Amino acid sequence: MSTDDRIQKQRIAAGLAEPAREARALARKLGLEPFEVNYWVVDYEEMNELIAYGGFQTRYPHWRWGMSYDRQRKQRQFLGGKAFEIVNNDDPSNAFLQASNDLADQKAVITHVEAHADFFRNNEWFRMFGSSPDAAAMLERHAETIDEYMRDPEVSREDVEEWIDHVLCLEDNIDQHEPFSTTEEWVVESSTSADLAEKLEELDLSEEVRREVFDQEWLEQMDADDDGPTFPSEPEKDLLAFLRAHGKAYDEDSGKAVDYEEWQREVLELLRREAYYFAPQKMTKVMNEGWAAYWESTMMSGEAFAGPDEFVSYADHMAQVLGSPGLNPYKLGLELWQYVENRRNRREVVEHLLRVEGVTWRNFADTVDLDAVLDALEPDPVVDDPVGHLDELDPADPRIDAETLERAREGDPDLDLERYPWKLLTTQGLAERHYSLVLAQNRGFLKRIGQAELERISRYLFDTTRYASVEQAVSDVDRTAGWDRMLEVRESHNDVTFLDEFLTDEFVDENDYFTYEYTHTTRDFRVTSTDAEDVKKKLMLQFTNFGKPTVAVVDGNFRNRNELLLAHHYNGVQLDLNQAKKTLERVFELWGRPVALKTVVKELDEHEIEVARRRDREPEPTERGKLIRFDGESFEEESLGDEEIADIMASDVDYDTKPDDWL
Amino acid sequence: MGLRDDLDRFREVGEAKRQDLSEFIQYGDLGQSRPDEVRIPIKIVDLPEFVYDPRDKGGVGQGGDGTPDVGDPVGRPQPGSGDGDEDGDGDEPGEEGAEHEYYEMDPEEFAQELDEELGLDLEPKGKKVVEETEGDFTDITRTGPASTLDFERLFKEGLKRKLAMAFDEDYVREALRVDGWGPATVFEWAREKHLPVSRAWIDDAYESIPADERSRWDSIEEMEANVDRETTAARIRREGIDEIPFRREDERYRYPEIVEEREKNVVVVNIRDVSGSMRQSKRELVERTFTPLDWYLTGKYDNAEFVYIAHDAEAWEVDREEFFGIRSGGGTRISSAYELAAEVLAERYPWSEWNRYVFAAGDSENSSNDTEKQVIPLMEEIPANLHAYVETQPSGNAINATHAQEVDDHFGDSDEVAVAYVQRPEDVVDAIYTILSTEAESASP
Repeated sequence: MSTDDRIQKQRIAAGLAEPAREARALARKLGLEPFEVNYWVVDYEEMNELIAYGGFQTRYPHWRWGMSYDRQRKQRQFLGGKAFEIVNNDDPSNAFLQASNDLADQKAVITHVEAHADFFRNNEWFRMFGSSPDAAAMLERHAETIDEYMRDPEVSREDVEEWIDHVLCLEDNIDQHEPFSTTEEWVVESSTSADLAEKLEELDLSEEVRREVFDQEWLEQMDADDDGPTFPSEPEKDLLAFLRAHGKAYDEDSGKAVDYEEWQREVLELLRREAYYFAPQKMTKVMNEGWAAYWESTMMSGEAFAGPDEFVSYADHMAQVLGSPGLNPYKLGLELWQYVENRRNRREVVEHLLRVEGVTWRNFADTVDLDAVLDALEPDPVVDDPVGHLDELDPADPRIDAETLERAREGDPDLDLERYPWKLLTTQGLAERHYSLVLAQNRGFLKRIGQAELERISRYLFDTTRYASVEQAVSDVDRTAGWDRMLEVRESHNDVTFLDEFLTDEFVDENDYFTYEYTHTTRDFRVTSTDAEDVKKKLMLQFTNFGKPTVAVVDGNFRNRNELLLAHHYNGVQLDLNQAKKTLERVFELWGRPVALKTVVKELDEHEIEVARRRDREPEPTERGKLIRFDGESFEEESLGDEEIADIMASDVDYDTKPDDWL
Repeated sequence: MGLRDDLDRFREVGEAKRQDLSEFIQYGDLGQSRPDEVRIPIKIVDLPEFVYDPRDKGGVGQGGDGTPDVGDPVGRPQPGSGDGDEDGDGDEPGEEGAEHEYYEMDPEEFAQELDEELGLDLEPKGKKVVEETEGDFTDITRTGPASTLDFERLFKEGLKRKLAMAFDEDYVREALRVDGWGPATVFEWAREKHLPVSRAWIDDAYESIPADERSRWDSIEEMEANVDRETTAARIRREGIDEIPFRREDERYRYPEIVEEREKNVVVVNIRDVSGSMRQSKRELVERTFTPLDWYLTGKYDNAEFVYIAHDAEAWEVDREEFFGIRSGGGTRISSAYELAAEVLAERYPWSEWNRYVFAAGDSENSSNDTEKQVIPLMEEIPANLHAYVETQPSGNAINATHAQEVDDHFGDSDEVAVAYVQRPEDVVDAIYTILSTEAESASP
C-alpha cells in the first residue's frame, strides 16, 4: 500500500471515529449489548479479499477462496461495488468499511454492524461454539498449520488440497444443535463410549495420562471389541467427528485401508472446528440480517443518524438492499422483527384494555375507540423532543437520563444534543419515542386484531387490576414490552424456530409469498400454493438443517465388514442422487473402506407421466427404498423392502404443496 | 499462502476441470455464452454434497406485484436465500452451490484452443488497407529536408569512397623507378595489383620523378622485395584523414516507413433451412455446428460480422436470437438463400474488403433441380474464402435429400467448398474440423 493510500485511509478513519463512538453509545441506549467492534478502513480490493475469506484476513490455502474471490470481483464489477459491510463474529468483532463509500453509507454500515455484534454476543446458538470465539486467531492458526503441511516435503500439496476437498463436501454434516467439542471429547462423550468414559472419570486421571494412555486409538479398540455390529448405538449426525474418530484412509498402492496420517487427522479436525464455528451464522441468517436492518433503520432514520443531507442516499441504499428480488433475508427478517415488536406491543395494549371495566373480548370492538387509544399512545412531547423541553425535564423521570440532563444543564459543549438528542433519554424513554404501534406504517396493526386473538389473550389474563377508564389503562402500558420481547427472541431463537413462531398467515398474505413445485406435465416449475401453511412448510424445509437433507451414520460395521452405512432421513423430498453418489466417493476417501447410503427414491416411469399428462394430473410417484454402495471403484444399487426403510421414513412431515386437483 | 495463490490454484483447478472443448461443443450448454464470451461449464469445482433434488424440493417465492395465481409458471426457481446484496458478515461465501460455475474464455482463446485441439492452423487474411501509419524512420530517399539528412551514412559512404580511392602513392612511385618501366607499364601493373590509380596520376608522377631516379631498381621483383607496401587503413591510422570526399550522390535523407495496416475483416453468412422438415433435433445440430464456427472466426479475425439467413422456399434475413429457433411451414428452395446472400454480400461486404464465409445447413432436401441449376452456379459465383454445407440428418438419409451429395460431387476436393455430415452430436467436432481445415489448406491469398 502506498503512503498516499495509507494517509487517505487514516483520514477517513479519523472522520469515522465519532460516528462509530456515537453509534455504539446509541446502540447501548437502545438496549443492545454488542461486542466491542474494531473498525478498519479498507480499499475496494481489500474488501473483495475479505469477502472471499468470509470476513477474515487469513484463511488456509485453498482454491475455493480463489473461486469466491473471482466470483466476487465479477459480481461487484457488475453491481458497482458499493456500500459493503462485513463484520465477523469475534470478540472483539472486526468490521471493515470500504474507503470509497460516502459518509451516509459508512454510518449505515456502522449502525448495522453494531447490531450484528450484539447478535453475535447474545444469541445463544453462537455460544454453542464456546463462550468466546477467538476466531481470527483460530483461523490464522489453522491457516498456518495447513500451510505448513502443504510445504512439508513429506506430504504432497495436492494430497492436502484433495483431503480438504473431501472434508469440505461434508462440512454441513455436523451436529449443529450440540455444543462444539473436539473429536477426542466427542469420543468420550458419545454414547458408544459412555460406560468407558464413566469409568475413566472415576479413575480421576490427569488430562495428560488420558491423552497418552487412553488415547483415541485405545478407545476405538475398546469400541470395536464391545460394540460389534451396532455402532453407533444412536444414528450419528456428526459425520466429521465419526470419520475423524473411526475413519481410515484408502491407500491406493496396497489397496488397503490405513490409519490416517497425522496431517490428515489434524486437517479434518480443524476443518470440523471451522464448520462448527460458522454454523450459527448459517442457522440465523434471516434473524441476524433482519435484526441488523431493524436497528440500522431505527438509528439511521428514527434517530436521524444520517444527517438530513445524507438521508436520501441512505434511503436509496436501504431500498436497494431490501428490494433485491427473490427470498431476501434482509427483508424477510426485518419484517418478521417488526412483526414480533408490533404483536407484543399490541398484546400489551390489549391486555390492559381488556381489564377496563365493562370491556370484554366479545364487546371489545364496540366499546373501545382504538383511534383514541392510538392517540393516547403517542409519545409524550418531552421524549419526542427532549431538547425542546430541556427545562421541563425531570431527572427523576425513568425515561430521562439524569446524568446527561445534569451535564446539559451545566452547558457541557461536548454533548451536541442538537445532533444526538437521544442522549437525554433512557432505554425506556427511547422505547416511548419509537413506540411502534403509533408509527404511520403500523397504525392499522392494532385495529387488525381478530376476535380469536382477543379471546386467547383474554383467556390467559389474570384478573388482577381493573381500570376505571381506557385512559388509565393506556397510561399503564409498558412501552418497552416490544423491545424486551425482541431481545428475548434474539437470545434464544434460530431461523427455524423464528419462522415457525412468527411467520403468520397475516404476514404471508401481506407479502405475496407463494410456493412452487416442479410439475411433470409441463416440465417446469409452477406456483402451487399461496396458502400461509404451505409457504411456511416450504420455508421450514429451506431453513431446517441448513436447507440440506439429514444424513447420519447408522452403522460403522455394516454387514460385519467394517463398511460404513449412512442413512438419509427421508422427509418426503428425495436426494439429488447424482450429487449423493459423488459425495459418497468422497466419504469413501475418508472411511477407507466401502461406504453405503440408505435412502428413499421416488420412481416414475414415462408411461405414468404420459398418462397423467393426458389426464391433466400430476403423476403419483412410488417411494422405494434404495441402498447405494460404493466400494472405491464402482457403485451398486439395490432395492430395499419397506421394512428396511421404516426407520428412515418420516411419516409426520409433508413438504408437498401441490393442490389435490392439479391444473 | 494468500488470496493470489488461491486464485492461481482456482484457475489451475478450474482449467483442469472445465469441460473438454470437444465435449462442450458436442454436448455442452452453448446457451450460456454470448458472442463475445464463451462460457464453458466447469465440471466439478463446486464440491458435491448431500442435497435435495432441486425438482423435488420446490421452493418459496415472493410475488413482484400481487400474489400470483396457482398454476403460473415461475421461470427459473429463485435461489434459496438469494440476497443480491451478498454481504458476507462471516457467512460462508459461495454458499449457493446450485449455480453453475463457468470457465470464461474470449473467442480468441477459444480459437486458439480449438486450433490446438483439432490441429488446425487457419491464418486470417488481411483485406482492406485501413490505414497507413508512419513507422520508424527506417526508409531512405535521395532528397529531403536537411534535418533528415543521414549524415552518418554520408560520412560512412565518404569514408568508403576514400578508402576505395586511396592507394599507397609512394609504392606506385617506386614502381616508376624500375629500370625500363614507363607510365604505361606501371599502369598495367597497378591494374593487376588492384591499385585504384589513374593513368593521369601516373603520368604526372612520372614527370615529377627526376630522370636519374627512374632506374633505381633493376626489376620490379627487386622493388617489391625491398619496398613495403602500406595498406590504406594503416596509413590512415598513421597519418589521419585530411578530408572525406562528401559527394552529393552519397546523400541520403531518412523518412518514416509506411506500415500498411490491413484489417482482418470477416463476414460469416449463416444460412439455415427452416422448413417443416427441420425438426428440433436437426435445429439443435445446426446450432451446435454453427455456434462454435462463429466463435472461432470471431476469435481469429479483428472484426467479425454475421448475417443470418433463414429460408424455406423464400429467404429472409433474421437476428441471431431468432435464427436457431425459427420453424416455418413451407417447402425448400436453397437457392433462395444464396440469392439473398449474394445480394447482401455485394451490397454490404465487398470482396475486396471482407473475408467471406458462407455456411449453409439443412437436411439436404431441396426442390428438384434447384441444387444443380441454381445453387451450384451461385456458389461458384459468390466469391468467398469458403463455402460450406452442413447436412443435419439425424435419421440417416431420406429420399430426395441429395443436396449435400450433389454439392460434394460437383466440387469434389475443392478447397473452397466443404461439405460435412452431422447425424448426431458426436459428429459435430468432425464437421467443424472438415470445414475449417478445408479453408486452412487454401491459405493462399
